[in-house]
Amino acid sequence: MILRFLAVVAAALALAGPAAACAHPRTSLAYLQGQVMCPTCHTTLDMSDSPAAQDIDRFISQKIAACWTAERIKSALVANYGQQILAAPSHTGFDLLAWWLPIAGLLGGALVLALGVWRWTRRREPDEEPAEPAGSGLDEETERRLDDLLARFD
Amino acid sequence: MTRRLKLTAQLLALGLVAGLLALLVWQLGHQQHAPSVGSTAPGFTLSRLDGPGTVSLASFRGKPVVLNFWASWCDPCKSEARVLERDWASYRHRGVVFIGVDYHDLGSDARKFVKAHALTFTMLKDGSGKVTGSYGISQVPETYVLDRQGRVVAHLAGPITDPGFSGQFRSAIAKAVA
Repeated sequence: MILRFLAVVAAALALAGPAAACAHPRTSLAYLQGQVMCPTCHTTLDMSDSPAAQDIDRFISQKIAACWTAERIKSALVANYGQQILAAPSHTGFDLLAWWLPIAGLLGGALVLALGVWRWTRRREPDEEPAEPAGSGLDEETERRLDDLLARFD
Repeated sequence: MTRRLKLTAQLLALGLVAGLLALLVWQLGHQQHAPSVGSTAPGFTLSRLDGPGTVSLASFRGKPVVLNFWASWCDPCKSEARVLERDWASYRHRGVVFIGVDYHDLGSDARKFVKAHALTFTMLKDGSGKVTGSYGISQVPETYVLDRQGRVVAHLAGPITDPGFSGQFRSAIAKAVA
């Protein structure tokens, strides 16, 4: 009886040991599958079941079990396959362009839109509130000729 | 002021379209194709799979070269490996060099593959697939046979164990050795 109890405790410790050994929350295969590319099919791992993708899945699972962080696993994959194994570009050097260009595009678009709206409203303002003409609205010459014409009927 | 703004916007849009067109032309011009028979094989320098150091294709100039692209996750590569090792053993005394290029593969898996199949010819690693791309490899295994001048004698896009390729492989080596 005691021996059986000790065996159960030993088995529980053996199974709990690796999980407890991690000094940080474990990353997950599903998380990394969305961030790592399949090198042969050029989709993320979660979209591929090619043999190359399955190999990387297995590698990631092994490293997660060994308590590797997501960053460390990604670094190991980059060392093996190069930067293109990551779905997102890095935040350094030329790759920064990939992050900043869409933002610059959005800001530029917003600016153009704002400018367009501003010009459109400026053009519309006189129509909405037409200013009262100061006089008859005729130039002096026409006014004088009109007066002469009307004077004939007096 | 508004006219100048309009002109600037039009010039910017024109510049953007021109830039995108230039990018398209550049991309089309730099698409990688398999080197054709008779052309010089693209040069490369790759790391050894089984240890430190690099190997350059140019260092084998003057010798016929069999360049085999493979990966540990590729099933046909397993049956082909045995045949390649056998052929390497029979052709090496005639000065033929066999080079295996491991493609899009985990280094640890590739080393296990080499050990499991007892492969003894030169093994290189192309993790990023850059060199493999320059040879227009779309699947593995694929094999190139190069003559002493580094020109392509044959390109076999499939396992050399295939009935259609085995004869072609041997005649290409004979041609490269001559």
